[in-house]
Amino acid sequence: MLKVNQLDKTYGQDKHSLKSVSFTAQPGEVTAIIGPSGAGKTTILRSVNQLIRDDGGQILLDDQDIRQANKAELRKIRHHIGMIFQNYNLISPLTALENVLHGRLGAKSTLAGMFGLYSTAEKTEALALLAEVGLKDYAYQRCDQLSGGQQQRVGIARALMQHPKMILCDEPIASLDPKSTKIVMDILRKLAREKKLIILINLHQIDIAMSYADHIIGINDGAIVFEGPTAQVNDAVLQKIYRQATEQKAKVAANEA
Amino acid sequence: MKPKYTSPQQFFRQRRTRMGIVFAILLAIYLGSVFLVKFQTFSSLAQVPAGLIWLFKTFIPNQHTTTYLGPIFYQLWRTLIVSISSTICAAILSLMFAVLGAKTTSPNRGFQLTVRFGASLLRNIPVVAWAMILLFSFKQSDFTGFLALFFMTLGYLTRAFTETMEDLDAEKLQALQAVGANYFQCVFCGVLPEAASTMTSWVLYMIENNIRDATLVGLLTGTGIGFLFSQYFKSIRYDAAGLIVLLIAVLVIVLELTSTQIRRAIA
Repeated sequence: MLKVNQLDKTYGQDKHSLKSVSFTAQPGEVTAIIGPSGAGKTTILRSVNQLIRDDGGQILLDDQDIRQANKAELRKIRHHIGMIFQNYNLISPLTALENVLHGRLGAKSTLAGMFGLYSTAEKTEALALLAEVGLKDYAYQRCDQLSGGQQQRVGIARALMQHPKMILCDEPIASLDPKSTKIVMDILRKLAREKKLIILINLHQIDIAMSYADHIIGINDGAIVFEGPTAQVNDAVLQKIYRQATEQKAKVAANEA
Repeated sequence: MKPKYTSPQQFFRQRRTRMGIVFAILLAIYLGSVFLVKFQTFSSLAQVPAGLIWLFKTFIPNQHTTTYLGPIFYQLWRTLIVSISSTICAAILSLMFAVLGAKTTSPNRGFQLTVRFGASLLRNIPVVAWAMILLFSFKQSDFTGFLALFFMTLGYLTRAFTETMEDLDAEKLQALQAVGANYFQCVFCGVLPEAASTMTSWVLYMIENNIRDATLVGLLTGTGIGFLFSQYFKSIRYDAAGLIVLLIAVLVIVLELTSTQIRRAIA
């Protein structure tokens, strides 16, 4: 279980990005964070694996506080947290197979990782994972020759190679067409159900969040304004989540007129 | 501030006026300098054809010239080897400096500044000056030529590699950090593969460039094809000197074509 307690983050002098954010995400469930642009969705996600250093609070993954970990411990913790991105962030001149194997870097010695010395078992597993996301025939293709949807699935295979407890997904479908979106979201939901993973996902498409998420966290201007099962999300809740964004838009429109 | 135009016609009229002014300024600078150095444009141009004809008559190799082919090819070969070896040695060292100096991979700001300053110092000393300075310590030898090319190439490639690494998408490296990769793994599994093809292009370009520079350096260090050229030139064997110029051009063109092929193959 992921439990975030009173997480704070301030950029610069007084621009609050996160204001005492607390929520939980359960294994076996898809948890979606929704909210207007600039509300702090990405900051939350990247604080969870400490790519962004926050200013205060607690992040407990199975009762271990990630924020208290030292460098070596953090590396071990990160090894069990997969992450996928809007821009896939694969190493593009390398093959799909090599990118999937990068998922093992957190568990390997420095030298073995540097020179790509992977065991036969690791290579077999990487191929199996590529087959699992439907890319069996693309293992030896360079990643810059794959389509967006295929690259994102390589990203998922890389995350699975980490034997993760949790996968963080930062706007995973924002650059994908509807067909690829469905494939990627179906895979993510299946992983939550079958492997009992925590899937924490930033989304700006409300309809996708409503149809795939079990649990919804609504964030507005750095603060949580809703947390609960998807069934409880109604128009009033959505209005609350996206409130200021509409007000701000109105203000900007008024200024321009 | 947003520029305001009342109509597209006005926008394009303003743009034309601006282009006109730039052109007028350039013309004025040219005319001003012509006046200052008393350069006579038309009579100078008139001398060009006659000069070219003389050049062709004296420098065109004839049937007698082929006797020089042996020593020319030997020196050309040595020059090629010195150029390639100095570039490769400099490239290996540049790679290490660039990793230490690029913003994306640098361990700290001290390294960044040192590498940047060092590279720009090496780069901004002309290769001819390098050769002359090094002559004092290393005398007239191939090694002096090698070092002169090496230092200049080191400066150029360090700068080029640093910029290549800084242009990489920092998010891709973050993705490797998120996997749990440490610093060296990020550099070897992320930065180097991403930057490899651009860096190879730079190395190939520097090899081409160094063949041309090696000729010049050879004049000073008394080695290689440059020295042979000056020998023939000073002993009025113009046909042989002309053959050397021709062969250098052929060599550089062949190298260019080869490196284009290599670049296409790895891109």
